[in-house]
Amino acid sequence: MDDGTRNALRGRRLLIVEDDYMVALELVRSLEEQGVEVLGPVGSVEDALALVEQEGARMDGAVLDINLRNKRVYPVAEALAARGVPFIFATGYDALVIPEAYAHVPRCEKPLDKALLARVLARVH
Amino acid sequence: MSNRSAFSTDPKPAREKELFEILVESSTDFAIFTVAPDGTATSWNISAERVFGYAEGEIVGSSADVIYTPEDRAAGVHEAERVEAGRTGRAEDERWHRRKDGTRFWASGVMMPLRSPGEGFVKIVRDRTEHHRAEEALREREERFRLLATSVPQLVFRTAPDGGRSWASPQWIDFTGLGPEESLGHGWLEAIHPDERMATLERWGEAVETGEYYLEHRVRRARDGEYRWHQTRARPVDPAQGAASEWVGTMTDIHELRGLQDRQEVLVAELQHRTRNLLAVVQSITSQTIRKAASLEEFQTEFEGRLRALGRVQGLLARLDHHGIDLHMLLEAELRAHGDGALESGKISVDGPPVALPAISAQALGLALHELATNAVKYGALGQGTGRLSVRWNIERGGAEPVVSLEWRESGVTLPGAGLPMRKGYGSELIERALPYQLRARTSLEFGPDGVRCAIAVPVGLNGAGPGHG
Repeated sequence: MDDGTRNALRGRRLLIVEDDYMVALELVRSLEEQGVEVLGPVGSVEDALALVEQEGARMDGAVLDINLRNKRVYPVAEALAARGVPFIFATGYDALVIPEAYAHVPRCEKPLDKALLARVLARVH
Repeated sequence: MSNRSAFSTDPKPAREKELFEILVESSTDFAIFTVAPDGTATSWNISAERVFGYAEGEIVGSSADVIYTPEDRAAGVHEAERVEAGRTGRAEDERWHRRKDGTRFWASGVMMPLRSPGEGFVKIVRDRTEHHRAEEALREREERFRLLATSVPQLVFRTAPDGGRSWASPQWIDFTGLGPEESLGHGWLEAIHPDERMATLERWGEAVETGEYYLEHRVRRARDGEYRWHQTRARPVDPAQGAASEWVGTMTDIHELRGLQDRQEVLVAELQHRTRNLLAVVQSITSQTIRKAASLEEFQTEFEGRLRALGRVQGLLARLDHHGIDLHMLLEAELRAHGDGALESGKISVDGPPVALPAISAQALGLALHELATNAVKYGALGQGTGRLSVRWNIERGGAEPVVSLEWRESGVTLPGAGLPMRKGYGSELIERALPYQLRARTSLEFGPDGVRCAIAVPVGLNGAGPGHG
């Protein structure tokens, strides 16, 4: 990871939505190493919506897992989009099953390449 | 002069008679003969001889009624015909006739009175056997088609190449509730799903070019109003005629088949998702095992143990998909993998009602049980001669959803003291943090004076037993 990317994420407030604790833990650790202020992690649509409601537009971005205990994360995506907060998907789902409305959203495949994820995050504003 | 005079005084009758005779004699397709009012033949042309087999000489002067079949004669058909011809000026019939040799043939005939009824009648008969046979054959083919078209499960139709229908089978009428008249022309489109009517009609343009109509679209079932997927095919009856031909088509209900295809696509997508998530879990286990291992050897032992535990849960998941995993089976699989015969030794007691764990919960719980069992083998009840392990659970139904409350309790153990690896290890992180986070479980992990005590209360049911997570 180059310094440009490292600095690009420094100080950003990013919401992490991921329902597997260990996977979330690794993601948080990796982002915190890059100076990210992590909001969450949260593992359910309800908790994520509550956090978005609370933080509002003070978030700089979000990393969203798509399937949260068999519920889809799209209501969270909608709430973020309504507030102008950019987000990316981190998911095991193929692009084919992602609804048309979110086809343009950057997607990182699981298992995650954390360096790639950081670069993708650095690009979205 | 006399000739000329005869010509001028009575030219027309003589000429007409001559023309009539020429016509009658040269008419090879039509048997023409005259009969007296009682049916006696008075003239017989060459075609009549060919058609009926009687020579002019043998029939003139006898009854011409021999050309009717005995049945028709018994029924008085011959007389009725003369009566009608006399009364209305024309009697037509289409029936079987009889030749001199007794063979029968199909013929159409017309009988008209000569100038005055007293003079008798002229009858013109045309052999129509070939035509009749062709008509019969056509009728038979039609009948066979109808029989086939009305007995197959498909909805059958006949149509012009523009999709305008001329016939719909009773199955179509039953299925769609549209009457035969309503279905004619383009009326049948009423039963097609509104979203697909345009495509259904447009496809006929392509069909004329390719010589085949093919489309999958939804057809409304009258019984319950459900639009069901059908596969519609049609081909021209006579391809040689090309676009002008009549077309026959079938509509086959493929609703269930399409449902299965859709479900299969969903399953493939889920499998992809599940596999990738499993790899993500392996990835996180790898990172955390590395972080907590003091040596490569320790990493290898712990990592392989966790991979095997993950493998066991996957094995159970594959076997019991959609029904959930039985807690008893999950627990036994873990204890058997670690216990080295301990399950049968009397050191372990397991007791609880049947519980089907959702797949979501089974994986995390399986990994937690693995950590407990590994710890018990190394430092606890399964590694020490005096040790005992009791695992009990029950289902609490008081709340919004059922909760499985499990207690893992070791006794008769001398713990090694403050250096117990599990206290700060992957296992305690999993039990104390991961289970509450991802399963909304309430957990506690204590290292008591005579062994480990772990309580795990997991809500089950509301999340369903759906496959995978993450």
